Amino acid sequence: MHAIWQKIWADLLHRRLVSLLILGTIAAAAALLTLALITLFNLEAPYDKSHAELNGAHLWLHFKPGRVRAMDIRQIESLPQVTESTGRQFSYTTSVRFNQQRVPVSLRVIPPEPPRVNRLRLLSGRLLNPGEDEVLISRDLRDIYHLGPGDQLEILRADGRRVTLPIVGVVYDPMYDNYRSSLPPYAYLSEDLLASLFPDKSTWEWSLGLRLADPEAVQTVLEQIEAMRTVTFIASHTDWRDVRSSAIFDAQMAFIFLSAFSFFAILATVLIVVSIVSSTVLAQIKQIGILKAVGFTGQQVLGVYVGQYALLSLLGTILGFLLGLGLAPLPLKTVTASLNTAYRPPFNPWTMLIVFVAVPGITMLAAMTASARGARVNTIQAIAVGGETLLKKSFWLARVLERAGAPMPLVLGVNDVFVKPLRSILAGINLTLGVMGVVFGLALSGTIRVYRQNPALLGLVYDAIVTREQSSDDRARRLIAQAPGVEAFYGEYLVEAQTLDGRLLKLRAVEGDMEAFPFHILEGRFFQPGSSEALAGKGLLDWLGLKVGDSLTLVLDKDDGPQATWVIVGEYPEPADAGQRLMVSLSSVRPLLKHTDPSTYYLKLSPSADPQAIRAFLSPRRESDLNFTLMEDVIPSTVIYLQVAIFALAGILIGIAMVNILIMSLLSAQEKLRVVGILKTVGMTPWQVIFMFITSASFLGMLSIAAGVPAGLVLTRNLLNLMADFTGFGQISVSVGKAALLALLPFTLFVSVLGSFLPARWAAKVYIVHVLRKE
Amino acid sequence: MTTLVEIRDLRKTYQTGSVRFEALRGISLDVEEGDFAAIMGQSGSGKSTLLHITGGLDQPTAGSVRVGGTMLQAMSERELALFRRAQVGFVFQFFNLIENLNVRANVELPALLKGGQSRRDIHRRCSFLLERLGIADQANKYPWELSGGQQQRVAIARALINQPALLLADEPTGNLDSASGEEVLNILRQFNQQGQTILMVTHAASAAAQADYIFFIRDGLLVDQMPGGDEKAIAQRLADLR
Ligand SMILES: Nc1ncnc2c1ncn2[C@@H]1O[C@H](COP(=O)(O)OP(=O)(O)O)[C@@H](O)[C@H]1O
Ligand SMILES: [Mg+2]
Repeated sequence: MHAIWQKIWADLLHRRLVSLLILGTIAAAAALLTLALITLFNLEAPYDKSHAELNGAHLWLHFKPGRVRAMDIRQIESLPQVTESTGRQFSYTTSVRFNQQRVPVSLRVIPPEPPRVNRLRLLSGRLLNPGEDEVLISRDLRDIYHLGPGDQLEILRADGRRVTLPIVGVVYDPMYDNYRSSLPPYAYLSEDLLASLFPDKSTWEWSLGLRLADPEAVQTVLEQIEAMRTVTFIASHTDWRDVRSSAIFDAQMAFIFLSAFSFFAILATVLIVVSIVSSTVLAQIKQIGILKAVGFTGQQVLGVYVGQYALLSLLGTILGFLLGLGLAPLPLKTVTASLNTAYRPPFNPWTMLIVFVAVPGITMLAAMTASARGARVNTIQAIAVGGETLLKKSFWLARVLERAGAPMPLVLGVNDVFVKPLRSILAGINLTLGVMGVVFGLALSGTIRVYRQNPALLGLVYDAIVTREQSSDDRARRLIAQAPGVEAFYGEYLVEAQTLDGRLLKLRAVEGDMEAFPFHILEGRFFQPGSSEALAGKGLLDWLGLKVGDSLTLVLDKDDGPQATWVIVGEYPEPADAGQRLMVSLSSVRPLLKHTDPSTYYLKLSPSADPQAIRAFLSPRRESDLNFTLMEDVIPSTVIYLQVAIFALAGILIGIAMVNILIMSLLSAQEKLRVVGILKTVGMTPWQVIFMFITSASFLGMLSIAAGVPAGLVLTRNLLNLMADFTGFGQISVSVGKAALLALLPFTLFVSVLGSFLPARWAAKVYIVHVLRKE
Repeated sequence: MTTLVEIRDLRKTYQTGSVRFEALRGISLDVEEGDFAAIMGQSGSGKSTLLHITGGLDQPTAGSVRVGGTMLQAMSERELALFRRAQVGFVFQFFNLIENLNVRANVELPALLKGGQSRRDIHRRCSFLLERLGIADQANKYPWELSGGQQQRVAIARALINQPALLLADEPTGNLDSASGEEVLNILRQFNQQGQTILMVTHAASAAAQADYIFFIRDGLLVDQMPGGDEKAIAQRLADLR
């Protein structure tokens, strides 16, 4: 036993550089795995976490002004399902001005102390100081209009005077639904301030947030509340599950890409560790022969090598785990930015357990199989040739090159790749993984770019959206049609509907210049305007188990509402509700419902259109309520973080590939010293030796490109579509820049040259007499 | 006659940690063009060191070595490589062939490295040498398929492919049975008769007898010199050195 330990230490110290490199590789693999797991675990339900932390409401009721009484609120709060309530909340909708823009906002009163229910999370700046005339804004105002602490909002008071209020902070509200809500963005202020701006309290709107015993019982509770009064006193409501799916939609792209990358990282970790450990152990087999010659048994030999890698892998895993924890904010930034959960270093015992079982486990397994192979090797043969049977013939390609008159160092370099085929295959796999990682990163960013340039692929076929509040549909249409630079538009009325078995969904009932919009039809065709044909989102088809060609009967508006049947003639990428929506002709619902006037209009602008001019045209006066949003403003900026994260991860893979080339070159340089001695004796110059080594590495690099590029593309496509299927997003078409792929060739060669240069120089400097004497 | 190798007061000191060891302690000798010279001495007396320095494989600590028109001291690694490639051929006790290249590729390697000749010429010269050495039928075999004597003949062909001015041989028969050793010596003798200058290290009197003259070395110093031919006298002189 003592002998084994001594040998373990002696080996580790003697092969200091190689040990260090292996340690580094194991650490990198562990870091990658840690990162991947942290990312995966934290994508799981960040909204739920956030909602729970802020004690978010499950149901938010917005009452019709003047229709609700204090006793109604008390009655609602005493319903058996309701566990907690925010109490009556005041708000006032008006428009605010900043930077020549006018935007409707809902000014909401918040108490001086953080409430029990539905607290706000401060994202930047500070909370309100008591008694000060200042406001907080919701993060939508920040994201869309780039407002933040230090900016000011201008408000027209009830008495006609203008006041400017400083923004002191940006907050996240767990119940503000930034996708479905027809509510304007929120700004928060004290009750005193609202009272000084708009003293007539009868114009204030009331709302109420409730926490329910059963968070899934929103619909039942809502029905109980509606049944309390004969008059409709609820203007609208927000279901926390809708907010959640909006939030998740925002992170959907990020989720797809990051989980794809995480799976890739895990795969890479396994392959990298296996290949590097096996090739190092195989390189030590000559030693194994000597050990057996001096009397070590097969099991003791196994002990020596497994012991070495046990030490290395444990140390490497600890280092890598810490590194992974440190780097975790990078990929998570995407998710946390879109979901507004402030980042805390997550400590999940599962992550730790998996990393500490998987990395050392895989390492030891690889060391064990490789050294078991070594232990079986005939002692004499191991001493003589070092275990792996050398390929004792020259490689055909080398012969071809030689006949073609290629320089001798190049011929020998190519030939060397095949002297130890197993080691070359392992190193090649590693390098291939690096290439695949880069291709993956390129394909992802290429795809993201294509989707950004052509949002129609995401179902965003329009350039701008106009919403109306008080203005009539007629007025809105008239103004939009006359607005400068508007080429075409269509209106949409969003119908609440349910299937015959009670599943709720929303219908986009549209009308207008539909043919002017480049709808991206995944399957089938667009519906005939005016007919009872429909387009369905991919998520809807999956959810209801339908396919193009089926028909679907829905109950509209309410439980006892009218029924209608549509034939689904096509599938389109629906960006909202996880794709669970139906798009139909407005004329097919108009005869069935009382109110079907569109409240949202989708615009196609001419290339030269001036958004400022359109905005000014649509709302010439202050109180005009037509709200114009340019689509450029709403493409999530989180995509940028995503690209950064992916390239950071690809960078780690490349680093690992480079270390691997270094290890491979070092091992082969150590073994080839005698051959290098002979070559130098017959007149090979130091630079020719270096050239020979670099040729081997570059040749391997080129093989890896040949294998890694197609493999990377196939992998990216399959992983992305797998993820996209889970989220009901539909097919993603992967695109990658040709120029970027071409640049991969010089890049990989560069990595190969860099990785092999040091060992090559070391071999080139070898003292010939010294190696020739070692017979 | 012109002097091909001129060695003056050659010294070589090895430093291993704090231990200094003087392997050569001031050797001077000349080898004329066309000569077949042998070096004899006990194991560890400095023969290989002398040969290595003469062939530009190692650098002297002091003294000078001239081979043809080239002064070897103070040359760069690259210059030494070019010198070895063009001016000298080496034959070692352990043939030192490259395992995964066949006989022809091993022999042609120095010529291909040197460049400046057409492939056809290299090929022709290789065939000529293999023919002369009696291994023309082994051209496509690999070293591990050959006997020791055959491998040493491949090594000689490789050493001579660039028509070097000087052939250096370090115990070329040391690892061969006596019959193969005999053949190898005959071959060297034949090449010498056609003008090849040879400097050979050996500890076998029978091998040294083939040489024109013999240098005796002890503890890094040249102690004696005698003509070749008489094997018994050589053996006696070697025994006297002890
Ligand atoms: N690189 C070296 N470092 C230290 N000592 C060396 C080295 N090379 C050779 N020697 C010593 O120099 C002496 C002469 O060696 P060598 O020329 O090989 O002797 P020979 O060939 O006559 O047997 C020997 O004692 C040997 O141990
Ligand atoms: Mg010797």
